[in-house]
Amino acid sequence: MNHFKTTEGYEEYLKDESRFTGTAESISFPRSEGDIQAVLSELGPEQILTIQGARTGITGGAVPLSGHAMNLSGMKNITGLRFNKEENCFYITVEPGLTLKELRDRVSAGDIPVTGPSAGLFKSQPEHFFPPDPTETGASLGGMAACNASGARSFHYGSVRNYIYGLRLLLADGSLLILKRSVQKASGTRFSLVTEGGREISGELPRYSSPDVKNAAGYFIKPGMDLLDLFIGSEGTLGIITSLELKLIPLPGVIWGGLYFFREPDKALDFIIQAREYALKPQAMEFFDPGSLRLLMEIKKSMNTFSSVPAVDEAMQAACYLEFHGDSEDEVSGRVVYITDIFEGLGGNADDCWLATNPQELTRIIDFRHAVPEAVNLSIDLLKKKNPSLTKLGTDLAVPSRHLKEMYGLYVRDLSRSGLKHVIFGHIGDNHLHVNILPADTGEYEKGRLLYGKWVDKTIECGGTVSAEHGIGKIKKDFLYRMYGEENVASMLALKKIFDPGLRLNRGNLFR
Amino acid sequence: MKIIVCIKQVPDTTNVKINPETNTLVREGVESIINPFDMYAIEEAVRLKEKYEGTVTALSMGPPQVESALRESVSLGVDEIYLLSDRAFAGADTLATAYTLAAGINNLEGADVVLMGKQAIDGDTGQVGPGVAENLGLPHITDVRKIEEIDGNGYMTVQRLLEDGYVRLKVKLPAVLTVVKEINEPRMPSLKGKMRAKSKEMKVWTAADLDIDKERIGLSGSPTWVTKIFTPPKPKGGKIFQGETRDTVSELLDELVKGGIPIKRGGGK
Ligand SMILES: Cc1cc2nc3c(=O)[nH]c(=O)nc-3n(C[C@H](O)[C@H](O)[C@H](O)COP(=O)(O)OP(=O)(O)OC[C@H]3O[C@@H](n4cnc5c(N)ncnc54)[C@H](O)[C@@H]3O)c2cc1C
Repeated sequence: MNHFKTTEGYEEYLKDESRFTGTAESISFPRSEGDIQAVLSELGPEQILTIQGARTGITGGAVPLSGHAMNLSGMKNITGLRFNKEENCFYITVEPGLTLKELRDRVSAGDIPVTGPSAGLFKSQPEHFFPPDPTETGASLGGMAACNASGARSFHYGSVRNYIYGLRLLLADGSLLILKRSVQKASGTRFSLVTEGGREISGELPRYSSPDVKNAAGYFIKPGMDLLDLFIGSEGTLGIITSLELKLIPLPGVIWGGLYFFREPDKALDFIIQAREYALKPQAMEFFDPGSLRLLMEIKKSMNTFSSVPAVDEAMQAACYLEFHGDSEDEVSGRVVYITDIFEGLGGNADDCWLATNPQELTRIIDFRHAVPEAVNLSIDLLKKKNPSLTKLGTDLAVPSRHLKEMYGLYVRDLSRSGLKHVIFGHIGDNHLHVNILPADTGEYEKGRLLYGKWVDKTIECGGTVSAEHGIGKIKKDFLYRMYGEENVASMLALKKIFDPGLRLNRGNLFR
Repeated sequence: MKIIVCIKQVPDTTNVKINPETNTLVREGVESIINPFDMYAIEEAVRLKEKYEGTVTALSMGPPQVESALRESVSLGVDEIYLLSDRAFAGADTLATAYTLAAGINNLEGADVVLMGKQAIDGDTGQVGPGVAENLGLPHITDVRKIEEIDGNGYMTVQRLLEDGYVRLKVKLPAVLTVVKEINEPRMPSLKGKMRAKSKEMKVWTAADLDIDKERIGLSGSPTWVTKIFTPPKPKGGKIFQGETRDTVSELLDELVKGGIPIKRGGGK
């Protein structure tokens, strides 16, 4: 298995989408589990190594600080498919480098190079799909599993965790763990796993409890837990995922999306709060603040790639995107009418709402939504050109429902007092808004950083999480310690040592 | 003002596949959409209505499933929808289609402005717009990229797109215009529009409802014969010249001369 010195033109592999940059002595591009094993044995028992997927992460998780970088983006095969009749679900086995976009395209085109009865069924059955939808479809499935990624539709379908049924995992010493859902479970807080080589790995689970919100911070721990879940969201600190078995569920027959515009942002919050009380609530609920709408319209004017983003009326101050999945148009339109009554009850006008009822229209709205984080990243790149020391200040905080308004109010007050240019958008259904600050200079950056710290403290006080979907990586470690406390993070580290005694895998992630 | 937009339902060719054995379009699983250029015609019609007051009627010829395309146009602001649908219309080429649509427009007692997309993406002929105008005996302007104004004397000033600019033209209404995508940015359908679209009554006219010559419609009215449809072979080889423009142009000229193309080289600096 070849690996190369990172000085030979591999500089781009020293950073991820956070723009945080590291260093490494060598890099490899394994094509199979066997290749990974070969690299591990070549590296020997001491070398530090960092695992990379598609490097779309925004916390520096895949950025090496030293040692070896192992890039899995070349492992893209689909290797298995089975059908579960009772659940009417397919289970597809993929290598970790396959991207979300590639998985989606191949599933919807039926391009699955597997033979056997399930392959035939796959062609004849109504379409199935993989629900997790992080905005960045270039993310790899290995990376998504490692971060427990989620997206707009996670409001209804949950995060990636809910769709992972099996993992093959190589530990730092090269031993192989094969994990299946519901097969290996902790007994209370005791756990025990056996590697394919027959070695038993056992220990105690830490005793902290995770917050009752969407969460991607620290190890997922629960007494009696499915041990598969320990590895999902562990940010590559416990083992290298070499294969994943994913669940595909039937694609709803009807998918509609509505973008509801508001003249007052506060009304948008009330709308969400009321809409999620509805028993047949939408499958996705997203929010855009005045800054998001304005930035999008600015960038639409100045950049060609954004010119197809539909224009928004300047009077609009906020928008909520709601997606409805159902079996029939009648059912879905009934739900849309119900939600629209709430909208009109809050002073909204049905003329100020875009409704997409076919795939072309839906694509236009979804592209609109995707354009917001892209516009933020582009703006940061422009700011960085002027001042290279600036980085993105983007939050990933989520709080329990009862604190949504209080948190939003805090953001708006602090930001307007500070005068910082900002954009707030995201998964409001889960009370999970991304605040992005666009600092003009180092002074503003510092101001923003202080505010971020203040919001982290407030979030923790409310029982929320410091990272709902992006993970901790290398740039949010301090938040992890603040959220769980020194002692609990130490117990996470102790758990890591059971699987990786030399602390070789992804050193610098999670732990100081 | 009375505005008619003619629209066509077409397969969404942004993701069609060609069957490599038969060289024909794989139609299964391909969504039907409103011809993308017609979306600009609809938008422009609705903008004219909003500016000058009036009504927009959408007209289409096709099988019954075209209803969904017409309803979609209502969600975008169209007021009335008419479908010309009859087995006798099937197999029409551009000549028969233009004749039939013109008959439909006559049945609607004409219009001040007829708007259409510059071409349909399934056939790419661009002939139906001008054909409709000829059948109606109206002036037409193709490739309109902007409607500037309609004056008090019933003249419309438009910009017609050219390869290297545009030409400004004044036309006496009624007239037929075909539009290009530079003309506007189609709006998203509003919720209210969608609700209206659902309950809108659609009128269907068959051949018997129109004042037409049966010999000039459908297959029998179509002199065009499609003998073969095939995918052109992908050009092989090719060469990309990279570097400073001065050098690459000179390399390209050398290459062309070598290939037997007589080129006289000037004394450029
Ligand atoms: C514009 C934009 C929008 C985004 N939107 C979302 C969103 O909506 N939701 C969301 O959750 N995230 C989002 N992200 C963040 C990012 O896409 C996700 O974190 C994604 O899961 C990372 O996948 P990746 O393959 O790029 O992983 P990488 O960045 O390569 O790695 C991320 C982490 O996973 C580890 N890892 C990767 N592969 C493996 C493996 N095979 N085994 C073990 N560990 C591994 C790495 O070591 C690293 O710690 C967004 C990013 C961008 C740039």
